[in-house]
Amino acid sequence: MGKTTYKRLKGSQNLRQRLLLSTLSSSPVLIEDIRAEETLPGLRPHEVSLLRLFEKVSDDCAVEINETGTKLKYKPGIVMGGRHILHDCGVSRSIGYFLEPLILLGLFAKKPLTIRLKGITNDSKDPSVDTFRSTTLPLLKRFGVPLEGLNLKIESRGSPPHGGGEVVLAIPIVQSLNAVTWTDVGMVKRIRGVTFSTKVSSQFENSMIHAARGIFNNFIPDVHIFTDHKAGLQAGFSPGYGISLVAETTAGCFISADTAIAYARAEETGDIEDEKKELMPPTEVGEQIASVLLGEIEQGGVVDSTHQGLLFLLCALCPQDVSKVRVAKLSPYGIETLRHIRDFLGAAHRPAPLVHQPPKLSADYLTASPLQVFLG
Amino acid sequence: MALDSTGTDQSHKSHRSRQAGPKKKAKSDKKKKIISENDKKQNPKAFAFSSSVKAKRLQSRSVEKEQRRLHVPVIDRSYGEPAPYVVVVHGPPKVGKSLLIKCLVKHYTKQNMSEVRGPITIVSGKQRRVQFVECPNDINGMIDAAKFADLALLLIDGSYGFEMETFEFLNILQVHGFPKVMGVLTHLDKFKDVKKLKKTKQRLKHRFWTEIYDGAKLFYLSGLIHGKYPKREIHNLARFISVMKFHPLSWRASHPYILVDRFEDVTPPERVRVNKKCDRNVTLYGYLRGCNMKKGTKVHIAGVGDYSLAGMTGLADPCPLPSAAKKKGLREKEKLFYAPMSGLGDLLYDKDAVYININDHLVQFSKVDDEKGGVARKGRDRDVGEFLVKSLQNTQYSIDEKLEKSFISLFGRKPNTSSGAQDGAKGDLETVEEVGEIEPSERYQSEEEIESDESGEENDGHDRDGMEASDQDQAVQRDHLREHVEYNSGRLRRKAFFGNDVDHGDLRDSDEENENSDDDTDNQTSSGSDFSDEDEELNEIDDDMGNISKWKESLMERTVSRQNTNLMQLVYGKSTSTPTTTLNEAHDSSEDEESDGDDFFKPKGEGKKNLREGFDDGDVNAEDCSKFTNYENIKNWKDEELIQSIRDLFVTGDWQKSKNGNEVPEANSEEDDGAIYGDFEDLEAQEYKSHPTGDTGKGEIQKEGNLAVEERRLKKLALRAKKDQGKFHRNQDTESSYFDKLKEDIELRKQRNISELNDLDEPTRIEIEGFRTGTYLRLEVHDVPFEMVEYFDPCHPILVGGIGLAEENVGYMQARLKRHRWHKKLLKNRDPIIVSIGWRRYQTIPVYATEDQNGRHRMLKYTHEHMHCLAMFWGPLAPPNAGVVAVQNVSNNQATFRITATAVVLEFNHAARMVKKIKLVGYPCKIFKNTALIKDMFTSDLEVSRFEGAAIRTVSGIRGQVKKAAKEEIGNEPKKKGGQPGEGIARCTFEDKIKMSDIVFLRAWTQVEVPRFYNPLSTALQPRDQTWKGMKTTAELRREHNLPIPVNRDSLYKPIERKPKKFNPLVIPKNLQAALPFASKPKDIPSRKRPLLENRRPAVVMEPHERKVHALVQHLQLIRSEKMKKRKLKEEKRRKEIAVERTKDEQLARKRQREERRGRYREQDKLKKKMRRNA
Repeated sequence: MGKTTYKRLKGSQNLRQRLLLSTLSSSPVLIEDIRAEETLPGLRPHEVSLLRLFEKVSDDCAVEINETGTKLKYKPGIVMGGRHILHDCGVSRSIGYFLEPLILLGLFAKKPLTIRLKGITNDSKDPSVDTFRSTTLPLLKRFGVPLEGLNLKIESRGSPPHGGGEVVLAIPIVQSLNAVTWTDVGMVKRIRGVTFSTKVSSQFENSMIHAARGIFNNFIPDVHIFTDHKAGLQAGFSPGYGISLVAETTAGCFISADTAIAYARAEETGDIEDEKKELMPPTEVGEQIASVLLGEIEQGGVVDSTHQGLLFLLCALCPQDVSKVRVAKLSPYGIETLRHIRDFLGAAHRPAPLVHQPPKLSADYLTASPLQVFLG
Repeated sequence: MALDSTGTDQSHKSHRSRQAGPKKKAKSDKKKKIISENDKKQNPKAFAFSSSVKAKRLQSRSVEKEQRRLHVPVIDRSYGEPAPYVVVVHGPPKVGKSLLIKCLVKHYTKQNMSEVRGPITIVSGKQRRVQFVECPNDINGMIDAAKFADLALLLIDGSYGFEMETFEFLNILQVHGFPKVMGVLTHLDKFKDVKKLKKTKQRLKHRFWTEIYDGAKLFYLSGLIHGKYPKREIHNLARFISVMKFHPLSWRASHPYILVDRFEDVTPPERVRVNKKCDRNVTLYGYLRGCNMKKGTKVHIAGVGDYSLAGMTGLADPCPLPSAAKKKGLREKEKLFYAPMSGLGDLLYDKDAVYININDHLVQFSKVDDEKGGVARKGRDRDVGEFLVKSLQNTQYSIDEKLEKSFISLFGRKPNTSSGAQDGAKGDLETVEEVGEIEPSERYQSEEEIESDESGEENDGHDRDGMEASDQDQAVQRDHLREHVEYNSGRLRRKAFFGNDVDHGDLRDSDEENENSDDDTDNQTSSGSDFSDEDEELNEIDDDMGNISKWKESLMERTVSRQNTNLMQLVYGKSTSTPTTTLNEAHDSSEDEESDGDDFFKPKGEGKKNLREGFDDGDVNAEDCSKFTNYENIKNWKDEELIQSIRDLFVTGDWQKSKNGNEVPEANSEEDDGAIYGDFEDLEAQEYKSHPTGDTGKGEIQKEGNLAVEERRLKKLALRAKKDQGKFHRNQDTESSYFDKLKEDIELRKQRNISELNDLDEPTRIEIEGFRTGTYLRLEVHDVPFEMVEYFDPCHPILVGGIGLAEENVGYMQARLKRHRWHKKLLKNRDPIIVSIGWRRYQTIPVYATEDQNGRHRMLKYTHEHMHCLAMFWGPLAPPNAGVVAVQNVSNNQATFRITATAVVLEFNHAARMVKKIKLVGYPCKIFKNTALIKDMFTSDLEVSRFEGAAIRTVSGIRGQVKKAAKEEIGNEPKKKGGQPGEGIARCTFEDKIKMSDIVFLRAWTQVEVPRFYNPLSTALQPRDQTWKGMKTTAELRREHNLPIPVNRDSLYKPIERKPKKFNPLVIPKNLQAALPFASKPKDIPSRKRPLLENRRPAVVMEPHERKVHALVQHLQLIRSEKMKKRKLKEEKRRKEIAVERTKDEQLARKRQREERRGRYREQDKLKKKMRRNA
């Protein structure tokens, strides 16, 4: 017992969840073979940055990385929280990548967390900070997180490849979350959204809005998409534009879709091709993202596919009650989350999550939409 | 009872009320009170408030009182039927604990018990079972007992009074959650004097109340009748026990625990025989309490250590509650009791076997019968069972002979469940399984026979795949050591399988090889009903080898068909039941699983992983991205058809339709399920409308019916909860409504949980929520030190507690600690103490501290006398708010109060710093004006730079500051002058010039390291009467080795010797003198050439004559003075005498005068009288 026993894992997949769950369940992890076979082995800059972030917000956590970066030992500490914490997220992933685990971490900290994150705010890979404001934070409210003290302030925006954005995240602490029974999707009553543009003409935004509206007008008239044109220092270092849409239903579900368009990062393009790719025109972006949102609505879960993982984690971190939520087709990330929850939290008193499907719908599981997830 | 029959026609004396005395007074008092209350009702105006302020105050007070009574409602998560409540009977030795248990058992079950060993489970009512446990008399046993007691009966010897044990136990109870407590006074028949008895009762009762609460129940057992307590009193006590209500205690409600009521050693006997001190495998049985227990939970066995469970199975309840038929009371048949450790009960259930316990003399009987009457009864038709038993006892033939005769395949070294050794009654267990064996009474075979068996097995195996045998061989080779041991031993227990058992046995074999451990076969289930194990086997078989014989295929098919394909499989892969801990096991490199590198035998976890990875194309380095948007197949939402398809998902669409359909947006999906779920969610939203049944099928109606019932039930329950609440708070509207709402929510949540979980099938449910509380569990633990079995004592109950999340980690804990006021001494810093936290007991070294005003944690040398202090220690972590009880000495033979301190865990983190004061002392080596160079304070320049700007002070009180490390040139003597290059010389400035003789010191704080030491108390691994020995305190060590306490000479107080200071004469320089005014000028006293007259005068020496004269004069003077002295004395004496004389005379004179006066007065009086008479 005196020696710490590490939970052994392999590969770099789902590093965020592994670290998060390891911290929340205070079980040390040892991850091996992190991109051992690749030309660039080891941890990526954003992953290292994530580890530093974990170190910053928690007390007495120990991170050990071997020389090549293919092996990682993480012994979690106690999440302390605190104010005036600053973290530079780097430019290899956007802030959204860091926000996802940080939100949960902050809820279970000892003191409320206020942290300033620097880096890329909008990115096509990760959910943008606008989506966090519009969708993720209201999602927390469902689980009994007080809305006062929960805040994400976008101070400046940054697009890839150089970033330069800055957000301030404030998370209150909770004693415990409430289990939810959330199976009603309701009907979409309004659609809101935000577009942004940095270092490009604000006309880009208008054309995106116009295009998106064109699609939504067939369904619902209550569509408001705001513009957020940043200039000067607030615009970061690189040009870019994007849009984040949220559909709000009568049952209080928020279904979001977002994207951002910018020049790709140097390290990604450098290997493959030298000349810069042509960016997608804003009208197409608008139409595309509107279609994606409609696709998410069609699927009919209480959250969109991006938030499935977060939803499952929140359910799992409730006290031992059964949560029942309805999600759309399980996303790969959601599936991984469920597995990790079982691996990390299953051994303790928490019941492992059960993905249960009403028996009648078993014909084709991937298309069957109403799922219950029991998590305790 | 006899009276009852005749009592009807008996005439009773009419009651005569008291006419005088205290009783009469009491009665009249009572009456008066009633009248006064009645008055209040009859004339309410008289008692109305006259002042609004007063009314308001009273009202607020009553409201406050009401609120104070409320508790935050907690959800009760024990859904199953409750486990028996544990009644711990505690008391000092010889107070009648066992007798009380015996009497209670007798009362409940009408059974006599010879001795009380281990827990005794009893069905005490239709809804309730009770488990009696006798608390052992040592402090470790008391601590453990306090952790599982639901009710503690404190037995107190009334004739003697309270003993320390009772108070110790009470204190332990208080720390560990304080379950219900009831006092029982015994030995009251020793009082002859009724008055004294009454007084004693009163006194003890009040003492008891101060300890617990006013009005705590104290029972009196007045003496013994036929060596038993009186029936009526036991009846009353039993009644109290069976109506007692128990509150959930927070620690227990969040941790599963088991009070072990049966204990077996299941180590293969062969291993034990070879090495008596080998690690054992044990099984522990008991009811699960606290909360649900999941597979993979680690457990702490109190007094032994932490173990991960090798197996956990739910067994049939050995002492079930009666069926819920409506009747009054229990039937005789239902008055069960279960006490396997006491050797009671003939039937014992295991996972896959039933053991019949036959007493020695019974066995003897049948044997004798066989010998004597065997011939006589041969001709008769015998009972089959009897015949079997008889044949089993018959051991005429040797095994060789038998083997020759029979064609039986023998597999695997299957150890049978052997008894827990201590229990003598178990010596001759006959298992039902053993019926299948050839030679059950002859348990072991010799070495040659094994070989022959092996060959026999091969012969037998040829009609099958042939692979099996080689498999077996391989196992033999691989596990060389073990096999070797077995051959050497020559004694081995084996099990025979008949032809139709082959596949079973085979299955087991492959199991065993895979696990590569000496598993007890009973653990490897053979019952087809066990879903999870079957699954495991399936996996193993998959990994095992390429060829899957036909029986395996069919098995697989069976299993697959039983597993309904669901999303669970999709997400978690096939083997849902493989415990997650398999991943954890990897840390132990010495484990066999890793050591055998061949891919033939794969660890189970790996197999599972592969399976899972297969699902995701083995991409372990996939990008970590939560967004999953497929831009390729975006539909064209301008298409009218598509628009129509999701039209109703928007508020602009058809509301009714969307109501029905929004659950299943795809048009082709079944609608009924959507309806069902729509139904359910409506329930949640509290806007239930009657659902149109419409055109859906029959199943839907049925389901809906169920749902409706379910919903009604939920509402009813919620209503009932509300009603219960209303009982207490009828007159409150706003205040209680919130409370009501909370209660209602919790009730609803509970019902919802139950309904959701009950929908699942049993194995899945167990997989998800674990074994429910109240289940009778069988835990198997491997590699327990042999001492546990060796020194197992049923009188010391074993507590098995589940370990929560992160509780197996070790770290620093901070606790708020208070020395117990009855403990005689203060606690010394870093003296080891034994603490009990959570389930654990361990010895640790605390560092005490107190929090200063500025939030600094200052180390203390000794704990405060009457105050809390902080204690930081190292050990397995416990969550905040866990109670801690500390003892220093666990020995039994001391009179003092053993509980040293109580504490509560504040937090477990590593941030809390404890500091102590440190004084760095330095000496000036060179002094400039206000600057000085200080040496010896720091050891290096680096250290100096660390302290730059720190405040320093000299002893004389001159304050200063550290500036910088001194440069070589300024400070110390430069090298060329032969000085040493000094390190750590600091340049400091002071407010005044200091002196070379000054000592400079710097006051700072330094962090104190808390020793990383903890030592679990392994009291179950040693003889119980022996005192556990741990780390000793320094004082104890000194005492043992007769060492004096080291004294620092410098710290002693010595008398201060101050030499008179010698001052040099004041010398005023000439120049200054010249400048001074005359008054201040030193006056010019010319130095004398000649000495003073006095000094000049020579000494006088007398002549002999002179001397004589001088002596004579002196003598004369002496004589004279002597004379004078004598005369003075004489005069004195005379004066005194005269004084005495005079006083005497005076007295006489006074007397005379008085007489005279009296006579005169008398005369006058007479005269007056005469005159009056004349007048």
